[in-house]
Amino acid sequence: MSEDKKKIKILIAKPGLDGHDRGAKVVAQALKDAGMEVIYSGLHKTIDQIINIAIQEDVDFIGLSIMTGAHIPITEKLMKRLKEKGIEDKKVFVGGVIPQKDIPKLKELGVAGVFPGGTPLRETIEFIKNTAKTA
Amino acid sequence: MAVARYIKDEKDQILDVIYESGIHVKPCYTPKDLEEIGFDYEKDLADPGQYPFTRGIHPLGYRSRAWTTRQYTGFGTPEETNERFKLMISHGQTGLNVAFDLPTQMGYDSDHEMAEGEVGRVGMAVDTLRDFEIAFKDIRLDKIGTGLTINAVASIMLAMYQAVAEKYGYDPKVISATPQNDILKEMIGRGAWIFPVEPAVKLIGDTIEYSMKVMPKTNPVSVCGYHIRESGATPAQEIAYAILIANAYIDNVLARGYDIDDFVGRFSFNLNVFGNMWEQIAKFRAARKIWARNLKERYGVKKPQNMFLRGLFGGGGYGLTKAQPENNIMRGAYYALVAALSGAQTTALCSYDEAYTIPTPRSALISLRTLQLLMDEVGLRDTVDPLAGSYFIETITKQMEEKIEEEMFKIENYGGIIKAVSDGYIQRMVARQAYEIEKGIESGELLKVGVNIYKEGESMEVELHEYNYESAEKQIERLKQVKRERSQRDVAKALRELEIATKEGKNVMPYLVECCKVYATLGEMTDVFRQIFGEFKEPSLF
Amino acid sequence: MEIVEKILNGNEASAAKLISLIEEGKDEGYKAISLLLPYTGGAHRIGITGAPGSGKSTLIDKLATNFSKRGKKIGIIAIDPTSTKTDGALLGDRLRMRDAENIEGIFIRSMAHRGYPGGIAKATIGTIYILEALGKDLLLIESVGIGQTEINISTVCDTLITVFTPDYGDEIQLMKAGMIELGDIIAINKSDMPGASNAQQDIKGHVNTNNNTTWDIPVILTQAQKGDGIEMLIEKAESHFKHLKENNLLEKLRSEKLKKLMLSFLKEEIWAHAMNKWAKKSEFLNIFEMVAKKEIDFYKAVSEASNLIFPDC
Repeated sequence: MSEDKKKIKILIAKPGLDGHDRGAKVVAQALKDAGMEVIYSGLHKTIDQIINIAIQEDVDFIGLSIMTGAHIPITEKLMKRLKEKGIEDKKVFVGGVIPQKDIPKLKELGVAGVFPGGTPLRETIEFIKNTAKTA
Repeated sequence: MAVARYIKDEKDQILDVIYESGIHVKPCYTPKDLEEIGFDYEKDLADPGQYPFTRGIHPLGYRSRAWTTRQYTGFGTPEETNERFKLMISHGQTGLNVAFDLPTQMGYDSDHEMAEGEVGRVGMAVDTLRDFEIAFKDIRLDKIGTGLTINAVASIMLAMYQAVAEKYGYDPKVISATPQNDILKEMIGRGAWIFPVEPAVKLIGDTIEYSMKVMPKTNPVSVCGYHIRESGATPAQEIAYAILIANAYIDNVLARGYDIDDFVGRFSFNLNVFGNMWEQIAKFRAARKIWARNLKERYGVKKPQNMFLRGLFGGGGYGLTKAQPENNIMRGAYYALVAALSGAQTTALCSYDEAYTIPTPRSALISLRTLQLLMDEVGLRDTVDPLAGSYFIETITKQMEEKIEEEMFKIENYGGIIKAVSDGYIQRMVARQAYEIEKGIESGELLKVGVNIYKEGESMEVELHEYNYESAEKQIERLKQVKRERSQRDVAKALRELEIATKEGKNVMPYLVECCKVYATLGEMTDVFRQIFGEFKEPSLF
Repeated sequence: MEIVEKILNGNEASAAKLISLIEEGKDEGYKAISLLLPYTGGAHRIGITGAPGSGKSTLIDKLATNFSKRGKKIGIIAIDPTSTKTDGALLGDRLRMRDAENIEGIFIRSMAHRGYPGGIAKATIGTIYILEALGKDLLLIESVGIGQTEINISTVCDTLITVFTPDYGDEIQLMKAGMIELGDIIAINKSDMPGASNAQQDIKGHVNTNNNTTWDIPVILTQAQKGDGIEMLIEKAESHFKHLKENNLLEKLRSEKLKKLMLSFLKEEIWAHAMNKWAKKSEFLNIFEMVAKKEIDFYKAVSEASNLIFPDC
C-alpha cells in the first residue's frame, strides 16, 4: 500500500487541580487548525494518567498547561516518569503562567519548548512543526 | 481584551464598530435614535431606586454610600491571611474576600496526594476549623462581611464560617458571609467542580435554605458571570447565563416550598468589567433591568428590594496583559470607572501583576487606592447614574437588553441551562469564541496595547511567589495535630450523621456545622459527598 | 522483530507504536502485522455506530466498565473525523471515557479517520489485529459518526450496535440513513427523553419487517449517563456472539466482511493512484478542457478518461 503522510499527534494536558483551561483549549483548537491531531486530556489529571494517555495514544508531543506556579515540580515529575516508562522520545512543551527566569530550569529538565501566556499561537505551531521535522 | 471590531478604511477612518455582543455602533446618536427604539423614561429607566432599576438600586447612589471595596486576599497560611486582613482593614477596605488554595477548593486535605505542591499556593489552605480560628482571630465578624471564594465545597466553608463565628461568640444572625457558591459557572469556566450537576445544585439549594433560617445576613450565592466571561463569553452571554444560572438555583429552593420573597433578596452577582467601556456600561444597566423583570414577571416577586441586582462589578482579569504590566494599572483605573459609572455597589480590581501571580501587598494597595480615589477625588459620588439620557447610552442599553434576551432564549430553546452545561453546549461555544478572539489579536484585527500595537517598551518580569514548602509542612503538621487531639468518636459520629442525612436527601448544612465544630476535616466531609454523589463528568469539547 | 515480541508479551507502548506505524503506512509496520497474524482473531469485536451526539462514547465508557467487571481484557478504538478544511483533528471521544480510562488494563486508542470512507480509519483493521495480539479479548470500536452511511464499520466487527436517540426524526430519515440495516443490536440511548418508547416501537416494527436472518435484532432502551440498560446491552452482545459461533457463522462472516473491506480499500487505492498518476497528465486535462468547451459530450469524456486509465477494459 502507498505510504501515508506522517501526522503530528499531540496531547494537551492539564495536570493537577487547576481548572483554568481557556488557554489549553485555545491552543488545542489552533493546533488542529494547523493540521495536527490533538487530544485534550480534560481537567484534574495526575501525572500517571497523563503518561498513560501519552503511551496508549503514542503522541509525539505532550503540552502541559500550568497556571498555578507549580510548573517546576509538575514538569520534573513528568520527565522522571517518561524516563521510567521508556518513552522519553516524546517531546514536552509547557505553557501557562511561567516566569522568564524559570525557562532555563524547565529546559534543563528536558523540556523542548516553553510558551508563557501571551505567546502568539503561530510561535507554538512553528516550534512544533520544526521540532517534529528534526525528530 | 480589545474586543470590539473596528472596520476602517485605508486612511484609518472608522467605518463601523461592532461590539462583542453584536451591536453596531453609529458615528452619531440623536434624539431620533431614542424615538426609533421607542424609548420611554418610566418604562425603560425610571428614577434610580425605582423598578426596573436600570439607573441603579439606590435612589441616591453613591451619595448615600460609596461602594464597598473587596480586594481579593488570602495567603498560604491562615496566619498570613489574618495579617493581610488586618492590613487591608487598616487601609480602609470595607469587606474581606478570601482566596483558598486549590486543594481546599477541590475538597482535599493538605496531606492528600493530590494536594502535593499546591498547599497554600494560590490562597489559604483550610483543613479544619482550627485554620479559620487563626484566620479570623480579632476580626469583627459582626461588623465586616466576608466573601468566600469557593464553590464546590461552599456548603462546607459556610458551615465552617458559622462554626468559627460561634466559637468567637457571635450569633449567626449577625454575621454576613458571601460564599461564591456558583457551581454551574465552575463547570462552564473555572473548572473547580467535584460533584455531578444535580447534587451540586442541590447543595447550593441547601445553603440558601439554611441561610434564610439561620444566617439571614448571609448572601448564600454569588452568581459569577465573571468567570464565564473570562472563558470567552460575550457580555450579553455573561449576563444571560448568569441570570439563567440564578434561576436554576431559585427553582431548586422553590421546589422545597418556599416563597421566593423569603430568599431571593440575598442573591448577588459577580460580573466582569473588561472590554469595551460603553458596551459594559450598557450591559450592567440592562442586566439590572432584566433581572428585576425576570423576578417580577417570571417568579412573581413582590418586594421591590428583592428585585435588586446586587453584587460585585469588577475584576477585569482577562483584560490585563503580561506585556508591559504597568499598563494594567491604567487599565484597572478605566475598568473601575466603568464599574462606578454603572453603579456598582461592591467592587474589586485585579491587581496589575495578576497576569502572573497572586497580588503583592503593594499592587493590592494600588488597586484599592484606584477605587478610593474615584470615589473621593475624581467625583464619581456627585450624582447618580450620570450617563442617563445619553442618546448613545440609552440606545445601546436597549439593544443590549435585546441581545441578552436572545442569548437566554437560545439556551432555553436548547433545553435549559442545566442541560446546556451538562452537555457542554455552552463550554463548546465559549471555547470557540475564545479561540476566535486569540486569532483576532494575532491578526491585528483586535487591538491590544503593548501586545500587537505600541509594543516598544520595557517588559517587566514579575516575580511569582515562591512555593513555601515550610508553610506547607507546617499546615500538614497542624492538620495532624488537630486530628490527634480531637475526639475521634465525635468526628465519626458527626460524619456518620452527615452521611445518613445526605443519603436521605436532607439539608446537609446543620450536619456540616456539627462536623466542623468537632474538627472533622474538609477532606473527610467532602469524601462523604464524593462517595454518595460521584463526580462530575466533564463534557468533551469537540 | 523486537516490537512483535514485546506486543506478544503485553507491552502497551509497543502496541501503540505499531499502531502509529500502520497509520503512517510504513512497510515495517505491515511486516510486523504479518508476524502477529497467527495471534489474532481471538476477540469479540463490537462496533458502535450512530449519529453525532447520540452518546456513543459515553455508552462505550459504561460498556467497558461493566465488561471489565466480568473479567474482560478490553481494547477501545475511537475514531474521530478529520477536518476536510485543515486536515487536523480533535480527538475528543477519549474525554468521555473517563471511567474506562482509569481502569487498569483497558487500552484506549483515538484515531482520526483521515478522510477514509465508511466510518473507520485505514488503520482500524490493523489496530484490531494489534490489540488482539496484545491479548485483548473484547474490542469496542467507535465509528466516526459523521451521520453518513458507515458501511465499513460493519466489516471490521462481529457485533454492531447502532445507537439512536428518541429524537431520531421520522421513519423516512431512518431508512435514508440506512443505519438500521447495519445493526445487530439497536440501542435507543438518552431514553429519558420524551418519545423513547415510541421510538422503540417504531424501530422494532421496521427491523422485524426487514430482517431475514435467524437473529432477532433486539431494540434496547439505554441511558448511558446513568448506566441504565448497559447490562442488557452486554447480555445481547454476548448472545449475538454466541449465536454466530453456534451457527458457525463467525468465521464465515469474518471472511466475507474482510473481502468487502478489501474491495473498499482497493477502490481507495485505485482512486488515489488515478489521482496521483493520471489526473495531472496532459491528455487527461485535455479531456476536461474539451468538455468545458463543449467539444465532446460529458458521457463520452468519462468513457475516454476511463480508457486512458484502463486501456484493456
